[in-house]
Amino acid sequence: MSRFDPRAKLFLLLLTVLCAALAPDLRFQFALVGLIGGFSALCGRWRYALRGILAYGLLCAFTFWCAGSLSGTWRTMFVAFLGLVHKVYACGMLAGTVIATTRVNEFLSAMARLRCPRKLTIPLAVMLRYLPTIREDWRFIRDAMRLRDVSPSLWGFLRAPAMTVNCLYVPLLTAASRAADELSIAAVTRGIENPKPRTCLVTIRMTAADWVVMALFAAFFAIELLWTGGIL
Amino acid sequence: MQTMMKQGLSVKDLVTAGIFTALFLVFALVGGIFFAPNPVLTFYMPVGSALLCGPVYLLLLAKVPKRWAVTILGAILCAVWFVTGMHWAMALGYLIAGILADLTAGTGGYRSRTRNALSYLLLSLGGTGSYLVFFADPEGWASTMLGNGTEQSYIDTMRMTGTTGILLAMLLGTVLAAAVSALVGGRMLKKQFEKAGITK
Repeated sequence: MSRFDPRAKLFLLLLTVLCAALAPDLRFQFALVGLIGGFSALCGRWRYALRGILAYGLLCAFTFWCAGSLSGTWRTMFVAFLGLVHKVYACGMLAGTVIATTRVNEFLSAMARLRCPRKLTIPLAVMLRYLPTIREDWRFIRDAMRLRDVSPSLWGFLRAPAMTVNCLYVPLLTAASRAADELSIAAVTRGIENPKPRTCLVTIRMTAADWVVMALFAAFFAIELLWTGGIL
Repeated sequence: MQTMMKQGLSVKDLVTAGIFTALFLVFALVGGIFFAPNPVLTFYMPVGSALLCGPVYLLLLAKVPKRWAVTILGAILCAVWFVTGMHWAMALGYLIAGILADLTAGTGGYRSRTRNALSYLLLSLGGTGSYLVFFADPEGWASTMLGNGTEQSYIDTMRMTGTTGILLAMLLGTVLAAAVSALVGGRMLKKQFEKAGITK
């Protein structure tokens, strides 16, 4: 298992967006997902990689089945939906690995090296870390709503709209603003306002592994471009 | 550093902006997810998104009544949409709408209820970016989306559905949904959050 430089991961993410946007057909998409699976495995996420590739294989099979044996409106609906999924899948899978394997301190240090303004990097880092918390909060709120006989479903909303909306938004937003206060106090205590260049206990350096992975993805992109251009 | 940070946003403001951006993103996704994959309903995607985010947006403004907070929101949304492979005009739309919304709310000193609500309407219109490009140039739009991997039949159905009436319905619907959302959000702010002392 190796740790990659956050800058390299960012570069991979950018390349994957381009690759997924320009992929001429499903074979390329599948190869891209395979490549991302390999990268995830290198980051020590074997199970995630295997599951991702398997799920994508099933998805491809389902797409072929839809395109082959359905017809009419259903076909349009499904194929359109699957087209969207295919477009987003590779990016989402890589983003999952990147977010799970990048620590916030490394991310901020790497961004500081890239001279990104802190006004953007701090909110971005906070946002990425807060997304899983929202899911957790939502589970608690749902349970609490059930406990008080407020149904967190569409039917419940139709029956008592104002009540349901209040029960949903108020706890989520209150939790969010409290988390904001606590997080910023913690961050200031740890010296985030220090104007000196940021230091990091973990050395952030581009290693050979970073360059190899970046070269692999770049080569894939080049092959894709050549294929689309009809040269290969 | 103290002096440098005091003029603009403090770290607390930045953290708050980040957390509320996360909430905004989740609500926008939940609102839009039912519409986006369906070629007939796809035009109403911005409507769905606009309907849910109002309270989040207004509370963000109430907590961080300063320049740049909304621009940061727009910029991060832009980055997220771009990275997840959406149409470029939607990403760009959010960035531009974020800046416009920031300026609009700024004219009321970020405290005026009506100006804040108005700026939310502007921000919601950012989601219509990719559809505006579609109406301005259907051919170019189709080729970009096909390049992005969207099916031909999806685009054909969209073309059949996409008439001027739909364009108006989409814009009006978005504005209306955003207005309702802002109204509900404003009430909620007054009734719940001001009492609880969460807003200053």
